[in-house]
Amino acid sequence: MCDPRPMWNTLPMTVRDVVLQIAQVGFTIGAAPLIQGCIVQFEERVQRGRGPGIFQPYRDLWKLFHKQIVVPETASWLFWIAPVVAFVCMMTVPMLIPVLTNFPLPLSNMGDILGGGLILTLGSFMITLAGLDSGSAYGGIGSSRSAIISILAEPTLILVFVGITLFARSMLPFVVNHLLVAKPAVYLGPAHLFLVAAFFILLTVETDKLPIHSSTHIEVYMIEEARILEYSGPLYGLLKWASMMKQFVLYTIFCNVLALPWFMSSRGLAVGVIGAGIAVIVKFVLVAGAIVVVDTIQSRLRFYRYQEPLAASFLLAVLAIISTQIG
Amino acid sequence: MTAFHASPVVASIFSLIAIASLLLAFVMLGSRWMRHYLMAFAAQSWLIAILSASVGYIDRYPELYVIAILTALFRGLLLPYLLLRIVRRMNVEREIVPVLQPSSSLVIGAISVVFALAVAEHIGTSLDLSSKVVILALTVMLSMKLIGYLMLAARHEAVSQVLGLLVLENGIFLGTQILVPGMPMLLELVILFDLLIVVVCFGVLVRYLMGQVGSTSTLHLRRLVG
Repeated sequence: MCDPRPMWNTLPMTVRDVVLQIAQVGFTIGAAPLIQGCIVQFEERVQRGRGPGIFQPYRDLWKLFHKQIVVPETASWLFWIAPVVAFVCMMTVPMLIPVLTNFPLPLSNMGDILGGGLILTLGSFMITLAGLDSGSAYGGIGSSRSAIISILAEPTLILVFVGITLFARSMLPFVVNHLLVAKPAVYLGPAHLFLVAAFFILLTVETDKLPIHSSTHIEVYMIEEARILEYSGPLYGLLKWASMMKQFVLYTIFCNVLALPWFMSSRGLAVGVIGAGIAVIVKFVLVAGAIVVVDTIQSRLRFYRYQEPLAASFLLAVLAIISTQIG
Repeated sequence: MTAFHASPVVASIFSLIAIASLLLAFVMLGSRWMRHYLMAFAAQSWLIAILSASVGYIDRYPELYVIAILTALFRGLLLPYLLLRIVRRMNVEREIVPVLQPSSSLVIGAISVVFALAVAEHIGTSLDLSSKVVILALTVMLSMKLIGYLMLAARHEAVSQVLGLLVLENGIFLGTQILVPGMPMLLELVILFDLLIVVVCFGVLVRYLMGQVGSTSTLHLRRLVG
């Protein structure tokens, strides 16, 4: 595969493409709470509960944005800036990856997969700092836990990216998407399947669904939630929204780049884009179903077994790289 | 020896089966429960049986069908059943004191796969074997042997040690199915009965351990008597 960068850099920037790029970001902002709502609803249904309905996250956000902000006395400017940075990071990443269209749009060449990963990590780094900022015990414990887990998850993520680069000969997500659609042999090859499995484990780590996480608000088990315990009102809403968008972005990378690269708009027509949006929702609901099943049948582990799923994911990535070297 | 110049589709099927059985070896390495070891071992044996049947179909060795059926019956059903009986009777559900944590043994296993790849590439270049399938078979064979040795060294329940031996043997068998598919059938039968003897011997050993020491862990075998 030749390097497609020069060709894509010379594309004329049309109004349509700018509109499409804005639509990608807007779609991420708008549809992220819907996916979260679907996951929560599925979990409740699987556990024979009734569930709050798939639109509950929108109502929650509406409620939070109409509340007052309470700020701890010990908090510094970091406390104010972290939610904004996190939210903006999650708005930036959808520009770099194929959300609706399978061809690059204006500013898509700002960064490759590694750049997207950097910005995703920057967002959660700021939240970790904000958790430490106010000096409360829960923020500290949440920040240290999420730091240790991301220290172990990051090398695997890099290995997955290396594996993608080795089989696609490119780090651009669009090239990977085109390659997987064009060549079913590559799609069914062991390298790709192992990368999908490794990334699936990373997906559960990054979206707070690892079997050591707790979805309920019990302080002993909290990881991601403990970092933002001090926030309230619109700032809390912003953080919630940012974490839903992070989940949406990771699902996008998983589906549109690795696992289900089909049904994307390839010409940028309005019909195609709307169809791609519906297809994205369907794909995400499928992945959410898989995540919920894994989350339900896997029993909770104690916290100090956090390294086991990550070691498994590391191993899968190593096997994928080995099989790209051979196959 | 058509495995050396197989068509791409056949090559991808072979590599998928080989890598899936390597993955099952890792399942054994990363778990703590005896029952998971046994299930993974049985699944691995079934995969190897499918592999030898497909090699027999593609390369037209009719005796490989018999070997596939024997593999599935012996390694896929009989040996796991015998081991399961030992596990049930002795009530050893899991490794009580792991010498190596599952996660670190997984990482060591991954390193050994990389080492096996390096060795296989070296063998491939020195013997002028350019075929990808051959390199893959060599890699999987060597790394399953290394994983078997690791299980023998890092586990001390007698049952998981015999499973380490069986994984080692499965690796060699998988390699021979791809590299030298026309092996005499008598040899295969001898190996299968050898395995049966290994399992029976370990059964006796486990009973002896239970009677003398009161546990099935080989950690208690410290004194050399003779």
